Amino acid sequence: MKKVLQILFALSIVFPIGFLVVLSLGRNWPYPVVLPKSLSLENWSFLQQSDSELWQTFLLSLLISIIVATATTALAFVTSKQLAQSKYRNKLMLLAYIPYVLSPVILAATLQYYFIYASLSGSVAGVLLAQVFIAYPFAVIILNNFWNHKIKSMEELSRTLGSSSWQTFKKVLIPVSKNALLLCFFQTFLISWFEFGLTNLIGVGSVQTLTVKVFSYVNEANIFYAALASCLLIVPPMILIWLNKKYIFATETVI
Amino acid sequence: MIKKLSIAIFILIAAVPVLLGLGYALMYSLGLTGILSEGFTTTHWEETLITTTFWKSLGFSLYIALVVMLISLFFSLWIVISWIKQLNKGSLSYITYLPLAFPAIVMAFFSFQLLSKSGFMSRVVYKMGWIDSLEQFPDWTNDEFGISIIFSLCLLITPFFIILYSNLYQNERIAELKALAITLGAKPSQVIFKVIVPILLKKSAFTIMLFVIFIMGTYEIPLLLGRQNPSMLSVFIVQKLQKFNLADIPQAYAIAVIYILLIASIIALVYKTRPTFFNSSSSS
Repeated sequence: MKKVLQILFALSIVFPIGFLVVLSLGRNWPYPVVLPKSLSLENWSFLQQSDSELWQTFLLSLLISIIVATATTALAFVTSKQLAQSKYRNKLMLLAYIPYVLSPVILAATLQYYFIYASLSGSVAGVLLAQVFIAYPFAVIILNNFWNHKIKSMEELSRTLGSSSWQTFKKVLIPVSKNALLLCFFQTFLISWFEFGLTNLIGVGSVQTLTVKVFSYVNEANIFYAALASCLLIVPPMILIWLNKKYIFATETVI
Repeated sequence: MIKKLSIAIFILIAAVPVLLGLGYALMYSLGLTGILSEGFTTTHWEETLITTTFWKSLGFSLYIALVVMLISLFFSLWIVISWIKQLNKGSLSYITYLPLAFPAIVMAFFSFQLLSKSGFMSRVVYKMGWIDSLEQFPDWTNDEFGISIIFSLCLLITPFFIILYSNLYQNERIAELKALAITLGAKPSQVIFKVIVPILLKKSAFTIMLFVIFIMGTYEIPLLLGRQNPSMLSVFIVQKLQKFNLADIPQAYAIAVIYILLIASIIALVYKTRPTFFNSSSSS
């Protein structure tokens, strides 16, 4: 019985992926046929055309997420160290949680005026900035736990042995924080990659990321392309989560 | 110098945008700015607080959040307590992570294709001869109880809690506590309800609170699977902002102000009672 339940549980997790892949291969799905009548790789032919719209969307999403993840991880690494050593650490962490738990779309709705005023509305730069507003506090929350007494002792030891601040940073802090930095990069990448409401509102439909594209296809009732875009959306996170699980979770307990 | 600069950067990115947004929304809702602005007025606030749609939306968001949390907590606790060994080793330990790769919009699209009247379930049920036409299939999407919203959110959140609890199970050395409780004569049900569940729930109390807030503010899933009335708060606000009726905009901002203040108050209240919640290195 236990084994059967476990198999059912595993199937319930794998089923959505299989279902979306089948839909992405489909062309014709009239009611009450259970699966699409014709299955082919035709929808996926965009992979052979580097100038196809879906490729451009995929690359734009990837570029935005990589920039947001890199910028927020780097900035949070430097600033979180100072925040963690501040006597106001708890109060500052309290502030970090507010944009993190606030619905991004509501934050975007209240900030829209400023983005229009700064001519950032409907631009990639605007979307990048808006995503940094929600990804950076989260990065600080993740890295805040890293700056503990052990790290501080290592830093002090390095300074006692004669290394400069820069040497300590480069030769001690960066190597020991490799896992925490990777974890932070992965998580902030996922925040940006998954983002829809804020991107749609600040991008006003002009900045077509993959999540926005899925929504457009759903609105057009183009379910096969929506499924295709959905498959593209879940592949990079799967790779990251696998890497995360294989190489980082063994040593880090932060989710 | 570096410390001051770091704190300034942090406040500039994390706090200033929220304050600017709150300020603008407050001014708009009080008639101090905007296209239809005619000077200070509390009319929009009065209208917002009097109309039942706002309260229904708030109540609906809270209902969805609580139901999703209850279902997700039940299944995640049950799975972790029953299958802890399998969750730490073997294929199940990898499979459990897969749903974390699903963005909310993809899960909403999947649920729609699965549960709608013309979806996969309806087709399977039709083939089995349980229904004769598409209309006989129940309304599980865009319904008044938010069934498909709850379904999608549970699919997204339950795996997260399974991972969290299987990590806590090891970190809190629950296997050893379980063995101790059995040695002291506790029954299996007592071990579960008096030892394991209280420890796991207590250790995850802050995360549970954050998730309730998260769910209340969720946007993509109710946008695709919900109905216009009642709608969840974020959908309600954006719909009011994007309507052609300009008179609705101040009300949308008033609701946004209420929502931001509500979230800030909850977090401040938790900070007041349990400040170490915000610094996990000192709380663990």
